[in-house]
Amino acid sequence: MKKGILIVTIGLFGVIFSGCEKFLNVDPPYTQDAENFFETKEDYERALVGAYDLLQGSFLSLWIGEIASDNSIAGGESVNDSQGLHQIDAMSHGAVNNELRNIFRWNYAGITRVNYIMENKDKIDFPGKGELIAEARFLRAYYYFELVKFFGDVPLIIDKRIGIEEARNIPRSPASEVYAQIEDDLIYAASVLPWTSSVKGKASKGAALALLGKAYLYQGKYSEAANTLNEVKNSGVYALISDYEQLFSVSNENNSETVFDIEYSGLEGGSYGCLICLEGNAAPGFHGIRQYNGPVYGDGNSYNLPTQDLYNAFNSSDPRRGYSVLDIEAFIAAQPNPESISYAIGAGGHTGYYNNKYIKRQGEIGLPDNDLTSPVNYRVIRYADVLLMLAEANFQLGNQSTAQQLVNSIRSRAGIQGIPVNSLNVIYNERRFELSGEGHRFFDLVRTGQASTKISGFVPGKHELFPIPQVEIDLAGGTWSQNPGY
Amino acid sequence: MRQILIYFVLVCSFTVQSQINVSGTVTNEKGEAMPFVTVSVKSKNKGTKTDFDGKYVLEGVSETDTISFYFIGYQRYESLIGSNTKLDVVLISEAQDLEEVVVVGYGEAKSKEFTGATSKVQGDDVEKMNVSRMDQALQGQVSGVTISTNSGSPGGSANIRIRGLSTFGDNDPLILVDGVVYDSEGLNALNPADIKSINVLKDATAGIYGVRAANGVIIVETKQGRINAKPRVEYNGYYGIQTTAKRLDLLNAREYAVIKNEMFGLGGQPMPYVNTELGEGTNWQDSVFQRTPVQSHNISLTGGTNTTKYSLGLGYFDQTGIVGGEKANFSRYNARLNFQTELSKKMDFNSVFLYSNDFRSTLPENGIGSVLYNTINAFPDEPVHTPDGNYSYLEEVSDIINPIAQINNQYNGSIANKFVGKEELVYTFNDHLTFTNRFNYNYAQVNTKVFSPLVWYGDGKYANTALNANLESPLVEIAEDVFIERGAAVYEERSSFTDLTYESYLNYDKIFDSVHRVKGTGGISIFQRRGESLNGTAFNIPNNSIEYADISANTADGGYLNNTGSWEFTERLLSAFLRAEYSYKYKYLFSAILRRDGSSKFGQNSRYGFFPTVSGAWLLSDEDFFKPKWIDLFKIRMSYGISGNDQIPNFAYRALLNGEGVYVFDDVITQGVAIGRPANPDLKWETTRQFNVGVDLTFLKNIDFTANYFIKNTFDLLFQPEVTAILGSYGPGGYPPIINAGDVSNKGFEFDLGYTTDTKKDFVTGFNFTYTMVNNVVMSVPEGVDYIPGASFGVGGDIATRFEQGYEIGYFFGYEMDGIFQTQEEIDNAAVYQEGAKPGDIRFVDQNGDGIINFNDDSDKTNLGSPIPDFTMGLALNMKYKAFDLSANFYAVIGQEIIRNFERQQPYANQLGYIIDRWTGPGSTNEHPRVTTEPTRNTVFSSYFVEDGSFLRMKNIQLGYKLPKKILKKMKTENLRVYVSANNLFTLTKYQGFDPDIGSAGVLAAGVDYGLYPQAKSYMVGLQIAF
Repeated sequence: MKKGILIVTIGLFGVIFSGCEKFLNVDPPYTQDAENFFETKEDYERALVGAYDLLQGSFLSLWIGEIASDNSIAGGESVNDSQGLHQIDAMSHGAVNNELRNIFRWNYAGITRVNYIMENKDKIDFPGKGELIAEARFLRAYYYFELVKFFGDVPLIIDKRIGIEEARNIPRSPASEVYAQIEDDLIYAASVLPWTSSVKGKASKGAALALLGKAYLYQGKYSEAANTLNEVKNSGVYALISDYEQLFSVSNENNSETVFDIEYSGLEGGSYGCLICLEGNAAPGFHGIRQYNGPVYGDGNSYNLPTQDLYNAFNSSDPRRGYSVLDIEAFIAAQPNPESISYAIGAGGHTGYYNNKYIKRQGEIGLPDNDLTSPVNYRVIRYADVLLMLAEANFQLGNQSTAQQLVNSIRSRAGIQGIPVNSLNVIYNERRFELSGEGHRFFDLVRTGQASTKISGFVPGKHELFPIPQVEIDLAGGTWSQNPGY
Repeated sequence: MRQILIYFVLVCSFTVQSQINVSGTVTNEKGEAMPFVTVSVKSKNKGTKTDFDGKYVLEGVSETDTISFYFIGYQRYESLIGSNTKLDVVLISEAQDLEEVVVVGYGEAKSKEFTGATSKVQGDDVEKMNVSRMDQALQGQVSGVTISTNSGSPGGSANIRIRGLSTFGDNDPLILVDGVVYDSEGLNALNPADIKSINVLKDATAGIYGVRAANGVIIVETKQGRINAKPRVEYNGYYGIQTTAKRLDLLNAREYAVIKNEMFGLGGQPMPYVNTELGEGTNWQDSVFQRTPVQSHNISLTGGTNTTKYSLGLGYFDQTGIVGGEKANFSRYNARLNFQTELSKKMDFNSVFLYSNDFRSTLPENGIGSVLYNTINAFPDEPVHTPDGNYSYLEEVSDIINPIAQINNQYNGSIANKFVGKEELVYTFNDHLTFTNRFNYNYAQVNTKVFSPLVWYGDGKYANTALNANLESPLVEIAEDVFIERGAAVYEERSSFTDLTYESYLNYDKIFDSVHRVKGTGGISIFQRRGESLNGTAFNIPNNSIEYADISANTADGGYLNNTGSWEFTERLLSAFLRAEYSYKYKYLFSAILRRDGSSKFGQNSRYGFFPTVSGAWLLSDEDFFKPKWIDLFKIRMSYGISGNDQIPNFAYRALLNGEGVYVFDDVITQGVAIGRPANPDLKWETTRQFNVGVDLTFLKNIDFTANYFIKNTFDLLFQPEVTAILGSYGPGGYPPIINAGDVSNKGFEFDLGYTTDTKKDFVTGFNFTYTMVNNVVMSVPEGVDYIPGASFGVGGDIATRFEQGYEIGYFFGYEMDGIFQTQEEIDNAAVYQEGAKPGDIRFVDQNGDGIINFNDDSDKTNLGSPIPDFTMGLALNMKYKAFDLSANFYAVIGQEIIRNFERQQPYANQLGYIIDRWTGPGSTNEHPRVTTEPTRNTVFSSYFVEDGSFLRMKNIQLGYKLPKKILKKMKTENLRVYVSANNLFTLTKYQGFDPDIGSAGVLAAGVDYGLYPQAKSYMVGLQIAF
């Protein structure tokens, strides 16, 4: 018996010391591994859903696009609440800014998810793969366009995932190269995608062309912009809807004016801890009236509050003023029982105005916490925007009458009289009236050279671009140079 | 442990008398020869030791001499020589001989022979504390071990930190109960009354446990029976009443109204209170804190025959929370069987079976929106109930809700059934070689239920789930124009965890040539843990009532809203270990350990690791040249070794598609996939290298002193540091990869000082003092990372804690306050420009000296302290006079800082009483800023919010009375003791929060107080009776 036990023991020791590799090879149960994916069409489709997901972070672009401009102030609970937005509002922002960092992170997460698909695009073939790849490339162009708008030169990573070491050796690519990639992706997407998709929320040919036109416009490529945007107009797929007030309601999503929407749902709760995880649109709740108790609207966090300057810019006869800017005191006074209505003022600032396009309304309230779960889509590209961009491109090319016709089609839909379009400023102003509160203003002011005259504290040569978050420069190996002035 | 063994090394002259020789044999109770027994002649410098056969010869002694026989762990035997020339002696083992044995992992050692740094706590000392968990009882009792409390709620856990924080991740020690791995999270299941002893392995000699030993090892033994003892039944129980030990000094309604008027007035807004004479108003603390019971009952049966010993235990514990009452409850049933028998001459069988059933319900705790956070901030001018009987809404601040309503709306509970056991066969080949085979299991089944009723706390409250005050369900659109109600919900979860361990090892122990003792241990260990869980949420529970709160009762239309989830994992460990020990004459001791572990947590590139340790000790007091006779024992120890920490998530080395890829198509939430965490195939465990040098001293017979100095450096810390955004890890459900980077160093000094007078006398007194000092510093952080950010201050505020090179883990980082600006002139003339400052605002220090306080970056922020104490101390006092006994335990923490983070910085939130001393005009104060609603920088994170958290607490005091033997005999009772006892009777501290004993499971969230659930003060009466 002694011998037996000893032999068994020695045997066991032998087994252990030789390593029982099999025993230690444990696979994660029921979980797909990133390396064993893309085996079926469904795998590709599911990866594409993941790539779309990051679009939902665009509420932050909307905020910054307004708050950085003369359209609105940061607002909120206090000046320490989303400090990054307050700094951007005051043009005192530096390279330490959480909001800018989120823009940087989220868009690269989207790009990485597209690149993961592109890296594996030749693994199998299936019907519809072309469109799937086209959608993916549209998304990549969207994310890069966001980055180039905010930061100028950014690292260009295409069709592959990168490792930690590799990431330390990737330089910032010139904005022109980023734009070239955007154009390339969008031209491909437009060539493959159908004009309309049977699925609400998917990128279409119109979306790709409109985004492409916008990218051209940002580069001053006016004839390319005009041609591309004309293609959208001439397709006959889109038309302005008659009632401007209905443009931003949940019930009127996916209308003839919708070129590209970012889709949100009110059916999944969320938490402040992870705004990018939300399926709802954070903007309407954050824009909501603080501790509001009354009809029509819901309560919110009083962010992104329109300025007096914006309100005053409108002609009082322009119905878009009321549709875009909510004058809270006037609204309350007009209600049947004004004394029963109450709201609070946040210490982050108060103008008396709220963003009336994206605001929490009763009847458009998602699950708790409903400050975070608005089902209201973000209208990224409306047909009105396409027409105004087309007008601008035409004016730049000398086609003043075409431009005037386009601008006045917008005004006529709003229910106001046409005007002579005798300068670019007329078109720029019309963009502000039509598109205020939608996140375009700051970037329009910058690309049209008006920013330094319109935005107090704006330093030309510096504030056209936001700083690359310092921590991102450090984490990427410290070789990137900072944007000028920061 | 305090029973100390003394060698008499006597130096004195001797008178010449008639000389004789005495010889004989020393045996133990079993008749076995005892080598190395010290045989000395009292009052003479003469002595010898028994040889291997237990024989001794003393030459040249006289008839009037007394010979003393002594061996470690045995009662001293003394005898006058008289006319005997042959004196055979049977040494009886000490009644408390177990105290001298330390359990060291796969074996035991006499503490005198042990080469490592260890501490031992007896079960009695644990039981005496009258607490529900072992960790609470250990606080202050062991040097080198720092314990901080995560929550004072019933069933709340504590953090056990052996020799400091050594990692950014999991710092919990490995806890073994009778050799079975027991998670620190699972400690709720362990009944402190079942504990016989706790051994803490603090230094590198814990390395016998290899890849899991870096945070130290705690070995718990449960109570055992005794050979040849008749059955003994013992009852031990107590009943107590608990209250809160502290209430905060909050503004009453009148003070509140005055302050708020001033605040709004200075902010240029209308004053909210026309009449400030509101009296006391509501003291929310009075409504929230309750007087609640705590009780514990334990019955045990122990005994044994000549081949079998057994110990059975039954326990019941129940504690109701001082906040929330039954909504914060903890109760536990325990059953235990410890059975050891001799199957044959050579085969022993040992079996341990521990069953527990515990239940815990909790309130939202220690966070923004927790019950106590709301209690502190609730407005004193509002009643708890409005005249119509509803809860008041506290409408002015959207995220402060009525805490009483909040308590009433909590319905949750989890029940854990746990089966822990060991079946062990020990085969004895001969006196020198034994072979142990054992199978351990630890199975836990956890059932959780959370009911979320429709609730309404007032307009705009974040916590509302109902549509309105009538508790109507909100409607949700599940498809175009299809709405369904979303009513009360219930969440249920069933999780199970199964640990299986097989261990097999040989122990060898032999003495050669009477002086060379060789011990060896070698074996293997195979470990597997499996966990699985299934959970579900169901909506529309009828009547919005807990009565129907079960998934089966849901009435959700078409089940559209209901959902389910599940997870499972498996992890494995394959290990082999060797330990060799050698001692020469029991004076020079050497030990070497080698362990090899393979872990499924790591990829193939670095799956296996070797963990070596060497240690040695020198018993100086056994040397012939060692003269001081007042020193009874003098031992010097040293150890150095490498151990590991593998506590990271499973599969961290692989890239999994567990990110969140969800988008909305056709208005339907569509699930896709996304990469969660990128792969790191080179991932490996953290490595801790620890050096220890220590002394054990016994002097003047009854004073024990043990001191250790250690250097514990941890390398290759497992981190999830921030990585560059261009890796794309920061999408929803995405994480940075886990990597090995960063080093932490802990250096420290610890000592225990114990004193006990003779326990056989009428008056016995003693104390045990422990002192722990650890210097913690982060040596490096991952490349490219300046620091790892931790907890944030306030709501959405600045990051207040950091993990940064050159500082303590989790140190506080913010602006330094330099008094209050008194006048505009002072501001205008200040050398430093502080944007927006007005008289009455906090003046900050310009750390970088550029003449501006920079609020847009970190350049003017600095180190504001840390939650890591400079040192901690524990003191246990014992006194006994005849039938009375008195004991007290104190615990002190010196030099820790706490962030006061429970104040909601909102105009209407209530405030602490210090605000009465606010700045009101030039010269009024330099301590507290003005109150105003206008935007100021007074609420940014600064030293104004950091407080000294040092404290001294009387943890326990107990006065007992034992019935005299005479009465006991009449009652046919062996022992009967009654006692009164109080826990947490007083705390001396300057800290303004509820409880300065504040911990956190997350190392970077430590010392941030959101309104901690305080430990109760309790008064108890108890009874111990044995038959």
